[in-house]
Amino acid sequence: MLSCRALRKSYVTERGEVLAVAGIDLEVEAGRYAAIIGRSGSGKSSLMAMVGGLSRPSDGTVVIDGTDIWGLSDDRLAAFRNGRIGFVFQFASLLPTLRLVDNVALPAMLGKRGDVDVYGKAATLLARMGLGDHLDAYPSECSAGEQRRAAIARALINDPVLLLADEPTSDLDEQTEIEIMDELLAVNRELGTTLVLVTHNLSLAEQAEQIVHIAGGVIAS
Amino acid sequence: MRWLLLSLALQNLGRRKARSLLLIAAVALGSGVVFTGAVLMQSIDRSMAVGFTRLGADMMVVPEGALTNITASLLAVEPSELVLDADVLAKARLASLGRIAAQKIVRVEHSGIGSHHDSADLIGFEPARDFTVQPWLVEKLNRPLQQGDVILGAARDGVLGSQLLIFGKPHVVYGRLGRTGVGTHERGVFMSFATLEALGEAIGGGMGGGHGAKPAVLAPGKVSGFLAELAPGATPLQARFAILSNVKGVKVVAGDTTLSGIRQGLAALLDGILALMVLMFISTALMVSVLFSAIVTERRAELGLLKAIGARRAQVLGVMVTEAMLATGIGGILGVVLGVLVMRLFERSLVYYLENVGVPFLWVDLPRTIAFAVGAIVLACAIGVAGVLYPAWRASRRDAYDLVRGGA
Ligand SMILES: Nc1ncnc2c1ncn2[C@@H]1O[C@H](COP(=O)(O)OP(=O)(O)OP(=O)(O)O)[C@@H](O)[C@H]1O
Ligand SMILES: [Mg+2]
Repeated sequence: MLSCRALRKSYVTERGEVLAVAGIDLEVEAGRYAAIIGRSGSGKSSLMAMVGGLSRPSDGTVVIDGTDIWGLSDDRLAAFRNGRIGFVFQFASLLPTLRLVDNVALPAMLGKRGDVDVYGKAATLLARMGLGDHLDAYPSECSAGEQRRAAIARALINDPVLLLADEPTSDLDEQTEIEIMDELLAVNRELGTTLVLVTHNLSLAEQAEQIVHIAGGVIAS
Repeated sequence: MRWLLLSLALQNLGRRKARSLLLIAAVALGSGVVFTGAVLMQSIDRSMAVGFTRLGADMMVVPEGALTNITASLLAVEPSELVLDADVLAKARLASLGRIAAQKIVRVEHSGIGSHHDSADLIGFEPARDFTVQPWLVEKLNRPLQQGDVILGAARDGVLGSQLLIFGKPHVVYGRLGRTGVGTHERGVFMSFATLEALGEAIGGGMGGGHGAKPAVLAPGKVSGFLAELAPGATPLQARFAILSNVKGVKVVAGDTTLSGIRQGLAALLDGILALMVLMFISTALMVSVLFSAIVTERRAELGLLKAIGARRAQVLGVMVTEAMLATGIGGILGVVLGVLVMRLFERSLVYYLENVGVPFLWVDLPRTIAFAVGAIVLACAIGVAGVLYPAWRASRRDAYDLVRGGA
């Protein structure tokens, strides 16, 4: 399902080159739940961005469902991200000028899925995330947790085969964290969506079928 | 989808209302100047082909001492007691002249034409030889011109066939002239020599009295001057030389020499307008592009997000271009509206000023004005698109993740 080969990512800064990911091989089978753990700065987000088609690797390949995504043209990759991958960022990531329901519907509308009831589906997803009464709210009117949950709903609108979540619960209270994790795991189990999750919470990681420990840009165990 | 991108662009504009308004105002100012400048330049340019040349004549022959208005139109000869014999040119048999049309001009007051205090120019012409009055008829009665008929210049009101009292004598409005841009022509009341001569007694003696004898030009066989065409192949210089050496006591006025002074003045004005237009255009374009590169930087995270959720590069560009076009397009429309208002507001003083320096003013026609308006708006949009395209294109090339993180 997901297969990374010799992935490397280096950033060029004024103080020289920073090697964030230094050669990672990773396999995740379809429908699995994999947790990525590691200390801050170990390269987890950099890895996720490359896997999610958001950041071009300095070297190596990412193959999802048989597609070498970084071999695709720009537009094809955009369509692939849109239709196959759901990405939940580590930080707030809603468009501030759109209501929650518009934010959630946007990827479906970009994907020309004119036939399905996009707004109905967006409303259902938001309701599942406990935001049924916040459809018309703007992001600035929502708490950080509510925004994060809306971002998860958005990641799911196009029924992705791969759901990538970068510390989706990092700044939330324990109760909300459990609720959100339950939703993600339910999606993973019920829809068979492959889930790759970055977390600092070891007890969350322990529920995973596969744990990847990253340190210094490489897999430590 | 399209409306969502559009509403995204609209809402983005609404987010920073003050900045958007400032941007719109700046673009409005720029496009307003360009639009107004273009209309004025064209109008002035049109008006510069002034004077009797507009009426179809190449030169004019008047008594030596006659004061000619700088427009050099025979119709603008200051009414004077100086007259010429009606056959003075015909007798000379000048090969360099083509058609010749004689005119008698009398400026009258308290004639009953127009409002009470208006003076009016009564202009006599010979229907058979005239080529500067009748070609401008836009409507006329369905019969030949006859004794007692008058033709009204474009600026005078009067219903065809209605009665017009001149010094108490009944006349019939036979026809109306189109706009020529020659003020005296537009305000003139035209009639045959016979009709004008028949008014002689009333003008000279009666009514308000005190004006003394009737004007010399109203005597049969006397005229105020001639409008003349060059014979094919003849040059103005040849004609002038021929006239001056064969006819005594006349002055020849040809279009170019008299108008060159004004033309130079107006050309300088046009250069000024043009320079202002170019400066406004450049500064608006610079300001817009600086502003939009800042806006794109500010929106980087959002553009990255759009990319991340699967917007194609063209769509990411589309959001920014739409936003820019909306702002500058609205600015362009406002500018045109502003320009129209300003021109309306200053129309009177501008036209008055120009006619004072001797340029009868003719506005450019409506289709062209509309074309300029559309051009100014399109130009404004183009400035917006050009200003936003490069920064947006650069941003759209970058990795979505970099953009979302807001990295430099
Ligand atoms: N755009 C960038 N430019 C320069 N260096 C970067 C950039 N992004 C990340 N890095 C560096 O790469 C390394 C890995 O960063 P990354 O964000 O992948 O870590 P992380 O494991 O996600 O950390 P955290 O748990 O704090 O989110 C860090 O040392 C970071 O400083
Ligand atoms: Mg991270």
